[in-house]
Amino acid sequence: MPGAIKTKSLEVIKAILPLVLVIVAFQFTPLQMPSHTFYQFLGGVAMVIGGMILFLIGVDIGILPVGEAVGSELPKRGSLSLVIGIAFLVGFTATVAEPDVMVLTKQIDLVSQGAISDNLLIYVIAIGVGFFVSMSMLRIIRGFPMKYLLTISYAAVIVLSFFTPTEFVPVAFDSGGVTTGPMAVPIILALGLGFSSVIAGRSAISDGFGLIGLASVGPIIGVMTMGIILF
Amino acid sequence: MFTGIGQTSLGVLKALAPLVVLSVVFQLRVLKLPRSYVLNLIKGVAIASIGLILFLQGVRVGFLPAGEALGAAFTSISVKPFIIPIGFSLGFLTTWGEPAVRVLSDQVEKASAGSIRKNIILLIIALGVASFVALGMAKIIYGIPLTYIIIPGYGLAIGLMWLSDKTFLSIAFDAGGVATGPLAVTFLMAVALGVASAIEGRDPIVDGFGLIALIALAPILSVMILGLIYKSRLRRISLPKYQSRKE
Repeated sequence: MPGAIKTKSLEVIKAILPLVLVIVAFQFTPLQMPSHTFYQFLGGVAMVIGGMILFLIGVDIGILPVGEAVGSELPKRGSLSLVIGIAFLVGFTATVAEPDVMVLTKQIDLVSQGAISDNLLIYVIAIGVGFFVSMSMLRIIRGFPMKYLLTISYAAVIVLSFFTPTEFVPVAFDSGGVTTGPMAVPIILALGLGFSSVIAGRSAISDGFGLIGLASVGPIIGVMTMGIILF
Repeated sequence: MFTGIGQTSLGVLKALAPLVVLSVVFQLRVLKLPRSYVLNLIKGVAIASIGLILFLQGVRVGFLPAGEALGAAFTSISVKPFIIPIGFSLGFLTTWGEPAVRVLSDQVEKASAGSIRKNIILLIIALGVASFVALGMAKIIYGIPLTYIIIPGYGLAIGLMWLSDKTFLSIAFDAGGVATGPLAVTFLMAVALGVASAIEGRDPIVDGFGLIALIALAPILSVMILGLIYKSRLRRISLPKYQSRKE
């Protein structure tokens, strides 16, 4: 446990430090921000570092083992519809709890002055992820090649982007990016790796990976469809 | 510094609740894991919630306003194109530091049986992201629609996909996911919004968002291209070890 704290702390500090140093350096150039904002930023850095360390430790000791257990337990239960349903729920709930998604949807809500509400957006993104996680499970079971699924999905994205209202296009693509954050990545990866390792004839490397890539298409399609329906 | 933390906490609890309920239902109906799993889950969720509250509060009071202020300060530079190289270096730094990108680089080294060094892949991903952040800044300054960049980009990705082998394909698309970590999302997005709202005639929604999408696209292209280069090189020497098995 103390070892884990040390590793996580080092990892988080190493990740954040270079950027913080550059921003501090900017403060000594004409590109400086107001000093009040700068001090707030330093306080924010401390909170972000502490928060990230706690979050990663919490995911490691509690949430990940359950994700792995679910992934390796699922195929033994047989029923295809149960596997698909549970994969959907895992993708959905992990995305609702994803910090990156919260940050993006909050910003969109603020900038659009409530026109694109954060609550609605979170659920649309989560449904998109859930849907594609269950599709990926189906793909692993059936041994359907990844590139067909990716080609069809991205072709759909390209076609949809011509019909979606302009302001939804950047929002949709950004939503695809944020789903793959510190919460959803470990859970979805654990599910996929655990799952493909117990199914005979599937390699954990080429079948287990790719789940994250597919998961980020879901929200793009979901948000674009939302834009077409609502506006 | 702590204003609005109550609201943040409520948001976090609301966000984690479905995951907890799902785990509990699983435990009761399907899994029936040993008690130690349950205790660890409770402990883990408690620690993760505190961490998440701190993280989001820090982002809200510190990172977002600083990013926006910095973005707005950039636009005071009289030579606007100068923002582009600044975007490049910020993009490079955030990716270089991202822990998930390092994990992925290790995996590529393994998947290629050591023929692709992890530092090379790290550099390739970071350079790819840096170029696309620079492109993102150019997009905001000159008001280029996102679709002009992203549609040819994904078109190219689909094309490359049919040339790449299976392992590289999966890794490349996952790399797109990991590059958009919490640092990129919180900070670079705020900078982009700051630049977009400070330049006249730009709509923050249309022009400010979209940067994360570009960051996600960059490694997909660069990793697949790298995979192809190595593949053609190795083929000339011997049969590549990492080629996918025949189906």
